[in-house]
Amino acid sequence: MTATSVTPRSSNGFWAEFLRHPVPVAAAIAVVAIILLAVFAPLIAPQDPYDLASLVLRDARRAPGYIGQGGYIHILGTDSQGRDLFSAILYGLRISLQMGLLAGAIAFTIGALVGSAAAYVGGRFEALVMRLVDLQLSFPAILLAFVVAALLGQGKSQLIVALVFSQYAYFVRTAHGAAAAERNKDYVEAALSVPMSGWFVVTRHILPNALPPLIVVATVQVASAISLEATLSFLGVGLPPTEPSLGMLISTGFQYLLSGRYWISIYPGVALIILILAINIVGDQVRDQLNPRLKK
Amino acid sequence: MTAPLLEVTDLHTHFEARAGTVKSVDGISFHLERGEVLGLVGESGSGKSITGFSLIGLIDRPGRIVQGSIKLEGRELVDLSEGDLRKIRGREISMVFQDPMMTLNPVLTVLDQMTMALRAHERLSDAEARTRCVEALRQVRIVDPEQKVDFYPHQFSGGMRQRVAIAIALLHKPKVVIADEPTTALDVSVQAEILVEVKALVAELGISMIWISHDLATVASISKRIAVMKSGKIVETGPAADVLRAPTHPYTQLLLDALPSRAKPGQLLGAQAGENEAFQANDVKGASEPYPEFVTVKGAVKRFEWKSGFWGRIGERLGIVKPRKAVLAVNDVSLSIARGEALGLVGESGSGKSTLGRMVCGIYRPSEGEIRLAGAPVMLDSQQGRKLTTKVQMIFQDPFASLDPRRTIGQSIAEGPIAHGLTTRADARSYVAKWLEAVSLDPAVADRYPHQFSGGQRQRVAIARALAMRPEVIVCDEPVASLDVSIQAQILNLLLTLRKELGLTLLFISHDLSVVRHLCDRVVVMYRGKIVEEGTTEDIFRTPQDAYTRMLLEAIPRLV
Amino acid sequence: MIAFIVRRIWQAMLVMLVMSMLVFMGVFVIGNPVDVLISPDATQEIRQRVIEQYGLDLPVWQQYLQFMNSLLHGDLGRSFVYNMPVSELIASRLPATMELAVIAILLASVVGIPLGVYAGYKPDSWLSKAIMALSILGFSVPTFWIGLMLIMVFAVQFGIMPAGGRGDTITLFGVPWSFLTPNGLHHLALPALNLSLFKMSMMIRLSASGTREVMLTDTIKFARAAGIDEHTILRRHVLRLISIPLVTVFGLELGSTIAFAVVTETIYSWPGLGKLIIDSITSLDRPVMVAYLMLVSLLFITINLVVDLAYAVLDPRMRQGGGK
Repeated sequence: MTATSVTPRSSNGFWAEFLRHPVPVAAAIAVVAIILLAVFAPLIAPQDPYDLASLVLRDARRAPGYIGQGGYIHILGTDSQGRDLFSAILYGLRISLQMGLLAGAIAFTIGALVGSAAAYVGGRFEALVMRLVDLQLSFPAILLAFVVAALLGQGKSQLIVALVFSQYAYFVRTAHGAAAAERNKDYVEAALSVPMSGWFVVTRHILPNALPPLIVVATVQVASAISLEATLSFLGVGLPPTEPSLGMLISTGFQYLLSGRYWISIYPGVALIILILAINIVGDQVRDQLNPRLKK
Repeated sequence: MTAPLLEVTDLHTHFEARAGTVKSVDGISFHLERGEVLGLVGESGSGKSITGFSLIGLIDRPGRIVQGSIKLEGRELVDLSEGDLRKIRGREISMVFQDPMMTLNPVLTVLDQMTMALRAHERLSDAEARTRCVEALRQVRIVDPEQKVDFYPHQFSGGMRQRVAIAIALLHKPKVVIADEPTTALDVSVQAEILVEVKALVAELGISMIWISHDLATVASISKRIAVMKSGKIVETGPAADVLRAPTHPYTQLLLDALPSRAKPGQLLGAQAGENEAFQANDVKGASEPYPEFVTVKGAVKRFEWKSGFWGRIGERLGIVKPRKAVLAVNDVSLSIARGEALGLVGESGSGKSTLGRMVCGIYRPSEGEIRLAGAPVMLDSQQGRKLTTKVQMIFQDPFASLDPRRTIGQSIAEGPIAHGLTTRADARSYVAKWLEAVSLDPAVADRYPHQFSGGQRQRVAIARALAMRPEVIVCDEPVASLDVSIQAQILNLLLTLRKELGLTLLFISHDLSVVRHLCDRVVVMYRGKIVEEGTTEDIFRTPQDAYTRMLLEAIPRLV
Repeated sequence: MIAFIVRRIWQAMLVMLVMSMLVFMGVFVIGNPVDVLISPDATQEIRQRVIEQYGLDLPVWQQYLQFMNSLLHGDLGRSFVYNMPVSELIASRLPATMELAVIAILLASVVGIPLGVYAGYKPDSWLSKAIMALSILGFSVPTFWIGLMLIMVFAVQFGIMPAGGRGDTITLFGVPWSFLTPNGLHHLALPALNLSLFKMSMMIRLSASGTREVMLTDTIKFARAAGIDEHTILRRHVLRLISIPLVTVFGLELGSTIAFAVVTETIYSWPGLGKLIIDSITSLDRPVMVAYLMLVSLLFITINLVVDLAYAVLDPRMRQGGGK
């Protein structure tokens, strides 16, 4: 006599449940803090790391705590060109986040549209799209991103294309799965039997209900886009040296790692990891909360 | 005087949640004699299943037995360690669950699963295990057990799977078997077979049983003694015949009054004296001139086809791949409904009754044949198949699934009428309020979301949504099948009243013959996509002509 | 069942054909290999001769047909850069990548699945929480970063591990292997660990969530009601039920690791396929790129096929052609 269908909790219940878990809450706060740091980097950073005039070679490769020519403490030390590492990391975060969020947003939009359209239209179109997506998903994202990035050359927009290309398929599949599940539910049949138009049913009924799993995928994909960008930049096919993301900072600091000047490579890495980790922890908690099969 | 086989005293099982403690089982006491079947009846949330799981020591966290005693042959079970409990489970007390689709492991053969259960308590060789499993399957009347023992669960029907589950529960000849709604997920005819077999097994093996169910009739047909549960307490217990004939507790009385099988057809259920007279005297308000063939279904066929892909088709050509067979859900069905009539559409699962209902409502386009309302087709006759009329609306079985969880009920009710010009965006609120009142809901709830309502309330909302389209015909697809008896009675009363007030034409789809008998003027019986019998409700129930109809009617468990 | 296999192989061949076209077209649009092949101060005459020699003046479809024709004769072409047959080039690099990938995936599965099952079985214990926390960390930290840290700690700080290279190899079936010599294993340990950490996190998370969901089902409750002990339930019921997604991931990850262990290979200067493809992309070595991408496609299509067949073995419902 128990109803088998899943009742989504109210949005209030969702946040109340989320707030009960201290680690995800801390992670969420960290994500917000990092975004704020990145957005206001020009105001917070003691130095504009791209202003070549302010770089002094004598300050290069100094350990954390060193007071340089600028008269302020380099709390995280300086890099090989005398850049304040803390400032460089803030600006690097800006670029990394920008790449991740932009690529994520574009992939999300493409995926949501194509995926739900495939689920709604059905038939051959659905079969073709999903076959293509499955084929693409069987190749590792990093391989696709690498090939596309290498083909297109360095640059911000080229990199975003590479990231979107390697990630949109995940969104298509998730959107398709969620929308296909919704399409067969009674409330969609109920709306169609009124009859309501197909457009109305897709935009007002199916999409809003298919959105939660997409959002979870989006958080994870933004994190993995940031990680991918860093990896590509590390391999030298990502951003040009004029756009030093965190990956690039790590990569250039790598050569000094073995000579004991660990901070040039380590601190950007720590910043990168905190960012990705925080996003993943939030995404993980949200996914658990949305998983109907874990509800007793 | 010897002690009873199982004695439960003052049992409390609580669930500690953040919101507070839920007292699922709140101080119950009962006993079970050797060779006896005790029926435990209650509606959802009464704590009957939790009682069963408490007995076998399988309460999921955060629930636990906080107080009381369970004695099996004088041995206390409540404080036993997990290891000791495990030794009892399956060997002394075993359990059968509701849904055999969910209980058996789909990736293991029946033999594997049974052998595991055997070896939980005995050491035996593979050959011995096989012999024992075959024997156990034969005992539950599975034909050809030597072959069937190597089957996977999906190769069995629902009733067969439940037999396998029962065979597993009986492997070690336990003293007590707890059966938790074991026939609820099955068709009536299968339920009838299982009931007969279980009765025979109880007599044959001398096992004792606790039969948990929401359905008074099945419980009454299998158990000598019953206990009625409500809100974690046993409110009444006694011999089945006495409890059903002269219940002492008002709740038992209420449950009995809610049963359509005990009321006169067409009367309000559980109504006070006088109410019904007033109801009957009230004339049909919405009555309009007669229209005998108001809804017509002519030669309707619905085929669900597996579309082969390009390579699949080539494969079929070459004979490498076998084409998948199309499923004929509805096979050449013709019927008509007069204006203002209530037609019952009866059949078991797979009979095609829901598919037919969806075609009448314009959700599915018939593969062949035509469906018309007042002479005009319900759907455009093209591949895309748009529905043309708003005069047919539908009420679905599961009110938890038929309302969009992300829209307020007001939005859900208003979207259709706004789109079809029955009201305007500006007037929508008062329009919605009117229909909420019509189904006895407070209009102030329009801004709430479906999850804030109980099942019965949601079904009222779903009815209001259908009515708000001002339909002439409503297709009701098992509208009360997922509701508790008392709620079911309220919804049936509502449908009776609305039908009268609005002069509605109903196509009422149900597997429950007593509900159909109560509500409908005429009945159509479907079996495997075809109509096997058709007639007035009176005739069908008094003098069924078709063998299948007779079998269905005989399969209904009766109260005493 | 046979129809199913035939259909799948049939599909796989078609996909291979489509992939070969896509790969060839894709590679064709990048850069002009002539610039790589010939020094800028070469005479126009030499230039022309080389172009003709490699057939670079032909329209793309003719080049494709030529390529397919030689492919059918087992000839993958010659590398522009190394000036040796591509097949030999790839064959010389494949074993290094293979042993690295297989060891990494085995490590990830052998460690990851039991940890994941435990974490899913007792989700509230502190050990499970620690396992899940570590798995999120392993999931989040980029592979190249872990590689750098492993080198810094074990090679630079403690000096107990080699920082790169393959170490001693021993030849078996005409192929040099590292994992058969102690020194080779020593060299293999860090890169294999590095490569496996991400996959291990994935295995943990997958088996944990699978176990958690399965543990709440009636199947498990029914098994418990029959008195079956927890160990048997985990081993027989749970592992079988969660094995299907695990097999998929195992297959795909094995493929993706063989295809692209590039990050790890770069950091540890491991002479595998990953380094080869990176170099060939940057030097526009078209034949190597085409051959490599074709090989990768073949690898994945084969793995998909094997995984599908494994489904049929693991899930009896699939054997009856879909079932219900």
